[in-house]
Amino acid sequence: MKKTATGGAFSALRLSPRAWKDTLLAILLLLPTIYILLKTFVSPIIESLVWSFYKYNLMDGSAIQYVGFRNYNQIFQMNEFWVSMKNTAYFTVFTVGAELALGFFCALLLNQMFRGRTFFRGIIIIPWAMLTLVNGLMWNWIYQPGYGGLTVVLHNLGLLSPDSNPVWLTNSTQIMTFASIADIWKMTPYMTLLLLAGLQSLNPALYEAAVMDGAGFWKKIWHITIPQLAPAMIVAVVLRVLGAFRVYDILTVFSNDPTTSVSFLTYNYAFRYFYLGRASAMAWISTIFILILIVIYIRMLKKNNELE
Amino acid sequence: MANPLQTRVPATVAVRPKSGIKSKLFKSASNELIPPFWLWIGLILLSLFTLAPFVYLLLTSISPSNELLSGRIFPHSATFNNYVRLFTGSNAASYMAAAKNSVLVSVYTTLLTIFIGVFAAYALAKIKFPFRTTSLFAILAMQLLPSISLIVPMYMMMRNGIDIGIPFTGIVFFHTPPLLDTVAGLVVAYTTFSLPFAIWLMAGYFQTISKELEEASYIDGNGRLGTMFRIVIPLAMPGIAATAIFTMLSAWDEFMFASAFTQTDAAKTLPVAIREFIGKHSIDWGLMTAGGVVASLPPVIISLFLYRYIVGGLSAGGVKE
Repeated sequence: MKKTATGGAFSALRLSPRAWKDTLLAILLLLPTIYILLKTFVSPIIESLVWSFYKYNLMDGSAIQYVGFRNYNQIFQMNEFWVSMKNTAYFTVFTVGAELALGFFCALLLNQMFRGRTFFRGIIIIPWAMLTLVNGLMWNWIYQPGYGGLTVVLHNLGLLSPDSNPVWLTNSTQIMTFASIADIWKMTPYMTLLLLAGLQSLNPALYEAAVMDGAGFWKKIWHITIPQLAPAMIVAVVLRVLGAFRVYDILTVFSNDPTTSVSFLTYNYAFRYFYLGRASAMAWISTIFILILIVIYIRMLKKNNELE
Repeated sequence: MANPLQTRVPATVAVRPKSGIKSKLFKSASNELIPPFWLWIGLILLSLFTLAPFVYLLLTSISPSNELLSGRIFPHSATFNNYVRLFTGSNAASYMAAAKNSVLVSVYTTLLTIFIGVFAAYALAKIKFPFRTTSLFAILAMQLLPSISLIVPMYMMMRNGIDIGIPFTGIVFFHTPPLLDTVAGLVVAYTTFSLPFAIWLMAGYFQTISKELEEASYIDGNGRLGTMFRIVIPLAMPGIAATAIFTMLSAWDEFMFASAFTQTDAAKTLPVAIREFIGKHSIDWGLMTAGGVVASLPPVIISLFLYRYIVGGLSAGGVKE
């Protein structure tokens, strides 16, 4: 992005006729978008900010009344909320960490030249393209006790004694861990493709120079690959954190427990109990957290652009 | 670390050596990182990790249920019975309705998003006007916000119907009926979320088209709009196609809005149908996986065939999912 219009409103008033014409055309082209986004994005989200300060229960027929910060106070005192936060944090850290590590090595592999590279690059897109819900269904089936794939394979490999038949999804830690594995399977290819794009701009001559200096595999990775790839890695991690923090759909397959994620809990308050005030407040807590991440991300993008 | 990984002497670029196979296997070419032996170990692990669950899903969908319940992975008597039951059984009508809704929702969402977004993207990429950068970053922020931020007020909007008119004047041309449990409602919700992302992605592609071409077009007597339709849009077609694919895939995959806004066959989409499967057919895994395979085939096939566009889009736009 090139830098323009940093002067903002003041320079807008001092535009040449040609610039005015351009601005008018731009507004005309943007008008449908602005209209739709104001209508269906901006004004609803502001509306929900307003509701978050009200007691607004849709189903019990009670009056809508202003309660100030009561919704927020209640949420922060709810054990459920903190449990869901903890689970979301666990899911986010575990999945993004594993996806970064696995994605990094997959990208290194697929960046080399070898016979059949197109095939290997092609197959990794299958998990990413699968429906999230089908991915959940598939892993749920794999985790079935007794006859699911995981148990059968472990039995056949002799890693699990034939008479032991564990139930994989019993408590919430196990549910979070196994749901994370499903997510890691699906989203590692995404990480791989992002990092692969970053690797392609890395100059191979750097490796040759390192070999001259007697550097081995790990030294090359540590001193060349990682520093060179850092901007792409940071962008990929931020995008994945944004994606993982909102997790909802895959969890619904494994569990009916709404405290498995903040989004799940919010959804439950909104569409099971129809406590719209409280759900709005909870949604805004997530929104603010994500907005902070977005601001960091945008600053990074701006910085990267200035460097170029 | 392990000795084989280290390369002390600069190796020449490997040209399928006949002699010294062993040292070649463990030595990487000077401009590469991983020696062939470890490369292929890695690739085998990668393929196992990627394909095993998917192949297992396919195998399950062609297994009879008694074999599944006895823990057999490779079916003895493969059968398409599960697929037959999916399309003719008691839930066939519901599944077909969901498939139809999924197609309608993703096609309409994509058309609407591209048609509206392409103009906005052009303006943001090619015309200088005040607050342009700010608008772009606002668009990016909208693209990254989660659905949960918007789902509550949007539910109420769908419940009450939407006014279409001139804002701040009280003039209303048209008031839609309630949009809950309709395809139109989902299209509105998905377009809201796709539009910022599509504009961001397409603006990125438009910016790559050189100024010289545009200027040549002005000299030929084309105006701004003429240049847009004759030069910029045709040249950016791969980018627009990539955007369309992403929009379609994300509409196909979306679950949260679909599960909140739809209840019946009139509008529920495949992800909702799959979620219901899990409740309804608790141990009929053959049928469920068959349903899952059919629902996943379109996005998987599209992604494999249009791989180039997908990868280009992923690296250009920082697509969120």
